[in-house]
Amino acid sequence: MRLSPQKAGIALISPSLMVIGSLLVYPVIYGIWLSFFKKHSFFPEQRFVGLGNYIYLLTDPEFWTSIWYGTVYSVSTIVLQILVGIAAALVLNEAFRGRNFVRGVVLFPYMIPTVVAIILWKWLLNSQFGLVNYLLLLLGIIDAPISWMGKDHIMTSLILISVWEFFPFVVLSVLARLQTIPPVLYEAAKVDGASAWGRFIHVTLPQLRSVLFVVILLRSIWMFTKFDTVWLMAQGGGAEKYIRTLPVYAYMRTFMYYQAGLGSAIAVVMFAILVIATAVYFRMFRREEGI
Amino acid sequence: MGKSGFFSLRGQVVYWCAALLLLATAFPFFWMISTSFKPLREIFVFPPHFLPTRFTLANFERLFGQTRFLTYFRNSIFVSTSAVLLTMVIATAGAYSLTRFKFYGREKIASLILFTYMFAPIMIVIPFYVLIRKIGIANTHLALIMAYTAFCLPFSLWLLRAFFQSIPMVLEEAALTDGAGRIRALIYVILPLALPGIIATSVFTFILAWNDYIFVRILITSDELKTLSVGIADLYNATVIDWGMIMSGGMLITVPVVVFFIFVQRYLIAGWGAGAMKG
Repeated sequence: MRLSPQKAGIALISPSLMVIGSLLVYPVIYGIWLSFFKKHSFFPEQRFVGLGNYIYLLTDPEFWTSIWYGTVYSVSTIVLQILVGIAAALVLNEAFRGRNFVRGVVLFPYMIPTVVAIILWKWLLNSQFGLVNYLLLLLGIIDAPISWMGKDHIMTSLILISVWEFFPFVVLSVLARLQTIPPVLYEAAKVDGASAWGRFIHVTLPQLRSVLFVVILLRSIWMFTKFDTVWLMAQGGGAEKYIRTLPVYAYMRTFMYYQAGLGSAIAVVMFAILVIATAVYFRMFRREEGI
Repeated sequence: MGKSGFFSLRGQVVYWCAALLLLATAFPFFWMISTSFKPLREIFVFPPHFLPTRFTLANFERLFGQTRFLTYFRNSIFVSTSAVLLTMVIATAGAYSLTRFKFYGREKIASLILFTYMFAPIMIVIPFYVLIRKIGIANTHLALIMAYTAFCLPFSLWLLRAFFQSIPMVLEEAALTDGAGRIRALIYVILPLALPGIIATSVFTFILAWNDYIFVRILITSDELKTLSVGIADLYNATVIDWGMIMSGGMLITVPVVVFFIFVQRYLIAGWGAGAMKG
């Protein structure tokens, strides 16, 4: 059997397109459709309410709080993981004994299941028996054990744990790029008398711009829509409403209050915010990157 | 960059930073392993012991004897492996098509795939759940496998496409002019060269499926069908927390990921350059 290249090409790509179309693109469109209905999550009945769900959200204080918490959470984790990630990549790009071992170990937090990361940190941060409080007390940094999962500190704990879990992604992306910067550039800068800091600002950073453009974009999308880390962190402890971000709120409306239409509307709002933010981001930085 | 000796100031800074990095990333794991081998009484002593003074397997015995841990483990293996196989078959064919055949709309398809790569689970799960219930396959492993395949496909395609692009077309043309059919050329020339890429992509897919929480949480309701992440999360939430048992479970879930990870580390940086992984 001989197929023309045109037909063979389409035949081979069509399974991928069918799966992506029916299981990713269609659900997203169906989600937009659902957001115009009042629908129970289990039962088939549904009632068209137009923009009703969206209008309800405008006056829903919990929705606005979740937008606020979601912004606090994503902005601070993104900034921190980018800074920590670049610093760590610079260190791992230096020559030292055991470098490959450290490079491998640094990626662990990103590879392990989120549920393990969260449970592990809940144990380390346990207010009574946790190692972190013990060490802080021992070093005299605090006088009394801190309740890390309590309402005053849970957002801080969540942010720090998330940075710990996701900064390796930044490390790996930046490190891959650092290895391709021609050493000549550094030598030239040295000849010109640039200090180490000057070389970082004038040689390294410009070379990293294009990779940082992509990394910041991807990390922002994933942090803004992060569900499992936040949700698992919120389980037990009673302070869950202090880290109720937008994805968690969408989940709660759908699977705890069974309001699938309203839940979808929240997801759509999230999607819309992302699309707008991405467009702005591209407009601001894309031309300079030449991507 | 230049070698910095241990005794130079720069060398000192690098070593201390590397040590700090190692401590921050590895110590929590060390603590998990240490806790999982401690007898209950020792877990709660103050000040804590860094190593168990008396090693015990009691935590593991409780994990295997009193919970469905082994069932969850088997489910995780089955679901993740099926998702990997399905994803790889579909994605290899797709990536081969995107790099070896010219057809109308090819570049548009490639950018559509890149766009769907950015979809996060929470944007899909709600409608996905409603649809899965409509078809009547909620609470089955099939639903999970479908979800993971769909979810892993965009980045697998993208990654494999980059790997295929790095294989020179000339090799294949040589095989074709030697009289080998396209399928033979694919099997004997292209696939062996693309193998590192296929392995790396499979491992990323496996880890993604293995680590997933949200799809299992939503699609699976029977306890005996749950996979590890939800199984462990429910054990944690069930009653008074048995830290020793939970830590031993956490350790066992992490083992396959670490083993796979060490296995593909060689290919990792190359794959990363092409935009691997999501999460």
